[in-house]
Amino acid sequence: MLDQTLVFLQALLDQTGAVNVTWQNLVMIVIGATMIYLAITKHYEPLLLIGIGFSCIVANVPGPPDDVPGGKAISALLYVVKDGGLFHYAYEGVAKLIIPPLIFLGVGAMTDFGPMIANPRLVILGAGAHLGIFVALILAKMVGFTINEAGAIGIIGGADGPMAIFVAVKLAPHLLGPISVAAYSYMALMPMIQPPVMRLLTTKKERQISMAQLRKVSKVEKIAFPVVIAIIVNLFFPPVAPLITMLMLGNLFKECGVTERLAKTAAGPFMNVIIIILTVAIGGTMAGDKFLNLQTVMIVVLGLIAFVFGTASGVLTAKIMNLFLKEKINPLIGSAGIASVPIAARVSHIVAHEENPNNYLIYHAMGPNLAGVFGTAISGGILLALLGAK
Amino acid sequence: MQAMIPDTLQGALILSAIDFFLSFVIISGIGVVLALFPLMNRVGKARVKSRRKTDQRDAVASEADEQHVAVIAAAVYATMAGAYRIVSIEPARREGDWVTEGRVAHHLSHLPKH
Repeated sequence: MLDQTLVFLQALLDQTGAVNVTWQNLVMIVIGATMIYLAITKHYEPLLLIGIGFSCIVANVPGPPDDVPGGKAISALLYVVKDGGLFHYAYEGVAKLIIPPLIFLGVGAMTDFGPMIANPRLVILGAGAHLGIFVALILAKMVGFTINEAGAIGIIGGADGPMAIFVAVKLAPHLLGPISVAAYSYMALMPMIQPPVMRLLTTKKERQISMAQLRKVSKVEKIAFPVVIAIIVNLFFPPVAPLITMLMLGNLFKECGVTERLAKTAAGPFMNVIIIILTVAIGGTMAGDKFLNLQTVMIVVLGLIAFVFGTASGVLTAKIMNLFLKEKINPLIGSAGIASVPIAARVSHIVAHEENPNNYLIYHAMGPNLAGVFGTAISGGILLALLGAK
Repeated sequence: MQAMIPDTLQGALILSAIDFFLSFVIISGIGVVLALFPLMNRVGKARVKSRRKTDQRDAVASEADEQHVAVIAAAVYATMAGAYRIVSIEPARREGDWVTEGRVAHHLSHLPKH
């Protein structure tokens, strides 16, 4: 009787995923829990990290082997094996490039491009801060990735989640999971990554530079901006047209003044829904058996290198500009040329504020920060064009 | 479309150099375009100025109407016998004497009858 009971209990246990837990699952569950911890206690981009972290945990809870062809147990989400269902289509929305342009619609509807229009010379920082893309690209090629894979990895340095996804899908779709995780995770960790680099490359005096108030930008300029930019960027970089079109459309909704309900919807509830779907999709790709390998570790390290070099190159570009400018710019805003809006601008402001409590650089830093969005789009567009991506 | 860049380290270096350089050029071009944006405000200002001028002319015209009425009434009182009532003020048309004659006859018909 006892033997029968034990057999019965064993059979019951075999129907669960508990017997299929691996060390990779446990590691990824810890990583997911760490993301949630950082989001709640440190407030590191909670809108992203909560969803990604939770989905990462759930993606590493293995399912029962009977549901899986070949008897290998994978995530209980079963988004890869079974067609249909929320998680499957959430991932497909990312892989089929439906989600990234919709994110940009919301971003455009939330963004005031006034700081960029008010001080056009700062857009140079949006290009200068992207050296990190190419450092990572070259290093990725050196360690053995193909040039397409290296391009997709390098774009992490642009700190633009939708663009990183977009380029990864076009150039290296098999690396979409680790690239999107690296991009969004580093964006959220920017307050930790950037300040040491910024302090290393600037003197106290430079960090205390105050900047004059920017001119007022008229409504006409703000309405003309999305139309003009959409034409210019789409004309020269058709591969990134879907992203730029939606970014500028969202901005036009915001600025034209006659589509307030559309702008509010795009920036509010609609964006929230898209973020939920995106974070679930990204976190759902972080299954331990697929994620924890040497390739992913290299991508994560290269992404960090891209961010560090991007920060450094932005600051150095600002310092070079100061050699030619009468009215000096605070070099800390150079690091905001990385596209992560408005995180990078906020970091520049906070570091400057620590040095001089009377210094409010957020509006100035938004100029290069916004220019960085176009810088990433342009860099990505050129990559896609030169590497023959359709 | 085929890739233009070979899948080698040299290709990666060339790709990076071209991309970085072109990014600077295109972004600078966008900066130049943005630097021209304030010109749009001048067009807007010119339109607002002309609209204001028309408004001012209208305002001046309406003020002048009252002044004109007062002046004309005084002139009529001073030059023509009896009391007169001003019915309308119209721009003077220089078509000819017949029109002038007609105008005089018309004005005379408005003599108040006590």
